[in-house]
Amino acid sequence: MISVTPTALADSANKIDLSNLSPEQVALSIDNLNLYYGEKQALQNISMAIPKGQVTAFIGPSGCGKSTLLRCINRMNDLVDICKITGEINLHGENIYGKHVDVAELRRKVGMVFQRPNPFPKSIYENVVYGLRIKGENNRRVLDEAVEKSLKSAALWNEVKDRLHESALGLSGGQQQRLVIARAIAIQPEVLLLDEPTSALDPISTLTIEELINDLKEQFTVVIVTHNMQQAARVSDQTAFMYMGDLIEYADTNTLFTTPAKKKTEDYITGRYG
Amino acid sequence: MTLAFKSTGSRQLKNSLAKWLITLGGISVLFTLVLIFMYLLYVIKPVFDSAKVEPLSQITLSSTNTSLSTGVDELKEVAYQIDNEGLATFYRLKATDQHSVGSVLLTQRLISEGAQLTHSVNAGLDLLLLIDSNNNNTLVSPDFKATYTADSREIVAKIEYPLGEESLIIDENEATIKKVAFGMDTEKAVFVASTADGRLIKTSFIADDDFTYDPAYEVNFQEIEFYSKTVDDILVTPDLSLAFVKSGNTVSVFELDDEDNVPLKTVIKPKTTITSLALLSGSSSILIGDDKGVISQWFEVAAEGNRDFQEIRTFSNETGEAIKHIYTEQFRKSFYTVTETGVVDIFYTTSEAELWSGKMLTKAPDAFAISPRADAIITILDDSLVLTAVHNEHPEVTWSALWNEVWYEGYQEPDYIWQSTSGTDDFEAKFSLVPISFGTIKAAFYAMLFAVPIAITAAIYTAYFMTPGLRKKVKPTIELMEALPTVILGFLAGLWLAPIVEIYLPAIFLLVLFLPLSTLIAAFAWYNLPKEIKVKIPETLAPIILIPVLLVSLYFAFALSPVVEASLFGGDVRQFITNELGINFDQRNALVVGIAMGFAVIPTIFSMAEDAIFSVPRHLTSGSLALGATQWQTLIKVVLLTASPGIFSALMMGLGRAVGETMIVLMATGNTPILDWSIFQGMRTLAANIAVEMPESEVGSSHYRILFLAAFVLFVFTFVFNTLAEFVRQRLREKYSSL
Repeated sequence: MISVTPTALADSANKIDLSNLSPEQVALSIDNLNLYYGEKQALQNISMAIPKGQVTAFIGPSGCGKSTLLRCINRMNDLVDICKITGEINLHGENIYGKHVDVAELRRKVGMVFQRPNPFPKSIYENVVYGLRIKGENNRRVLDEAVEKSLKSAALWNEVKDRLHESALGLSGGQQQRLVIARAIAIQPEVLLLDEPTSALDPISTLTIEELINDLKEQFTVVIVTHNMQQAARVSDQTAFMYMGDLIEYADTNTLFTTPAKKKTEDYITGRYG
Repeated sequence: MTLAFKSTGSRQLKNSLAKWLITLGGISVLFTLVLIFMYLLYVIKPVFDSAKVEPLSQITLSSTNTSLSTGVDELKEVAYQIDNEGLATFYRLKATDQHSVGSVLLTQRLISEGAQLTHSVNAGLDLLLLIDSNNNNTLVSPDFKATYTADSREIVAKIEYPLGEESLIIDENEATIKKVAFGMDTEKAVFVASTADGRLIKTSFIADDDFTYDPAYEVNFQEIEFYSKTVDDILVTPDLSLAFVKSGNTVSVFELDDEDNVPLKTVIKPKTTITSLALLSGSSSILIGDDKGVISQWFEVAAEGNRDFQEIRTFSNETGEAIKHIYTEQFRKSFYTVTETGVVDIFYTTSEAELWSGKMLTKAPDAFAISPRADAIITILDDSLVLTAVHNEHPEVTWSALWNEVWYEGYQEPDYIWQSTSGTDDFEAKFSLVPISFGTIKAAFYAMLFAVPIAITAAIYTAYFMTPGLRKKVKPTIELMEALPTVILGFLAGLWLAPIVEIYLPAIFLLVLFLPLSTLIAAFAWYNLPKEIKVKIPETLAPIILIPVLLVSLYFAFALSPVVEASLFGGDVRQFITNELGINFDQRNALVVGIAMGFAVIPTIFSMAEDAIFSVPRHLTSGSLALGATQWQTLIKVVLLTASPGIFSALMMGLGRAVGETMIVLMATGNTPILDWSIFQGMRTLAANIAVEMPESEVGSSHYRILFLAAFVLFVFTFVFNTLAEFVRQRLREKYSSL
């Protein structure tokens, strides 16, 4: 049914030079980012540029800070009271931790999908249009269009088009996760953050999502956190390996998995620890 | 192998034992509930039963003369008959060891031999005025005394003469008396009579001391001015205040209180042919029967400065036959009507109920009497005396009398009244459940009005915005409030809060304005505070800053109260409300109850709503925030929505508590059963009503059973609320069940 091809590995035309990106190619640049949870430093001096229209994966052992880094990109860490951040993350050359940044507006530009599917206890339709509605969009036609477009982009349209007004909680886990992706892309973000999006799903749903990620990069810059190296290898163009709050190595996926520059990276991808 | 088997056996035993015990527990809870329900219904049911009539005994009289009067003792063991020759005969109605049913106890001649008894007029129980053809007037009272021998009880019958055996002089001219009526209490006997020479007279026998032990009296004769020479019927009220004189189809009402003058009070002119008259127990109502079988009840109603008799309600005996006689009970508002063909109807005025109807006799009886306990009637027709039991314990209660407006004696119009007891025996009990059911709803409404905004916002703040450290302290503290005995809350509300609210009434209303306003100002100030200062204050302590702000606004509200009172309300709010707004002001009013019961309800609502909001999964709120929603949007659109089943059941639990709460409403309301939404008036609730009146109600009485009915209504209230709540909650839960 679903053929698995590690597209990123096969597709060498997509390859870009990470060390030498032109400003147009950069979606996000992270500069000297430090993050502290109280006294404990969770991220240490991270600097990296995330290229536009590509899939970037963060890998690393549990507790290495990859999810924390991801959550920095749309300031979800703001919700944690004891969290303190220094450094910058620039989106369009503007620091998202700047003084006059509207966090809600930022999150509309940087969408996020979580580990566990979290549809709201509303209908499928209302779930997809949630982001539009809170922005004040109530035009039925606009909403209808957005629903169809997003659900088609999330490869869910054919499965749910006849029951848009039924509760989203009646969907299977994989369908729910695709719905959550549809919900995230309905507001047309620039960057889509995926925080271990398949870890709570069965293998077949996982493959569907992986294929979807590959399609999504046509429209969005995708950043994915995964603990599954095979997945990173299959879906991403670039991979960043993190360890103990440090960015150890950041390279195009093919290079990182085949000829890692650092010993720690090699140990991790060969399964010495993790 | 055997070992394994053994252990399985004991485990299985424990398992099935546990299963049975739990099942037993569950069933017994249900069973108890059903039992309570059944018991309530069992106590209530007799109230709605209609009257039952069954013949008890029938005896053949030895005297074949026409009977004029009859009566029976309290236990229906001995009946008497007075015939037209003046013979009083007592018969046994119950067989004893020596005597059979129908045997004669005593025969006594009440008038001289050869004379005929012309009048035998009844006033109250077993008090008769006898007038014979020689114009001798005597007052007799058939008396039954129980004497006890070793193992049996014997009734001794006797005729008493309360005003002596000598003939009483009713008319100073000693003319023949044609119609007469009288009434008597311990100090006075009043006779109103029409004489053969066409006069209407009033004669008062005023006791020198007290008739109960001294029959000496002075007589006062008066003549009443009356337009007609024909008088068909005369009635005197038992309280000796009014006389009703019927002439043709007009009933003239005279006042009897004055010993010098007997003024005409008013004239009743019903538009029918009057065939019979009777006074209803309680001296207020007169019953008028007509030739079409319709009985109308009339009593005085205050209207436009004067009081006048008005037709209040009518009853009809369905056969359409003329009402020959109306007989009224001594202590209740029941009455019996008899037609020429012997059809007997039993009615109750207050409840407008026809209790029984049937052809009891072949024709109108010669003598008819209601037993002292109103549980039987005795009729004499020719030589046959019949005692008929009437099971009619709760005639005053009908479904419509409980829930509809009823026109009670002395009231200006039909109304919903709860007034179960009063000082007198002949008082008309007013059992409308409307005011107390209304009071329950009113108390709950004001309590919820106070509690819901505070409890829900507190729950939202605690669950959604508060730091976990502070939440851990705040939540148990508020929940601890629930452990406060409500009797203390009621006590404080009634004795401490109510006077404060009364004195500082403007302050209470200023607080409604000040508290939210000061909170908003404080929040705004905090928002604009420089970050350097904000960082220095630990987040846990930030909300505590609000406490002094609230205290200051509290102080200002109370400090401003006299100023506001002086400048806006002319120095006294209470008077202003009463005089200018025309609203009655009670010290213990719905405002006090709202606050006090609100306090009792807040922990219930808060605790459950807080749990519901807090248990909304974090990943849902994160999901909403990640889509660019603000905290506030997330709260409204996701958190409250997901928590709505829990919040709803919290509200319903609070409402259930407010409806059933007893002590606070008992102590902090005036317990006035009035129908008024006003926040400045008290109320009486179903629960408080039961608590107040249960100790003073006679077991098995209508009042007692109606209190059980009130309990049942309360039960139904909570049952309906809870069922509805559960139904809605299930629907909501299906819709918004979280992940």
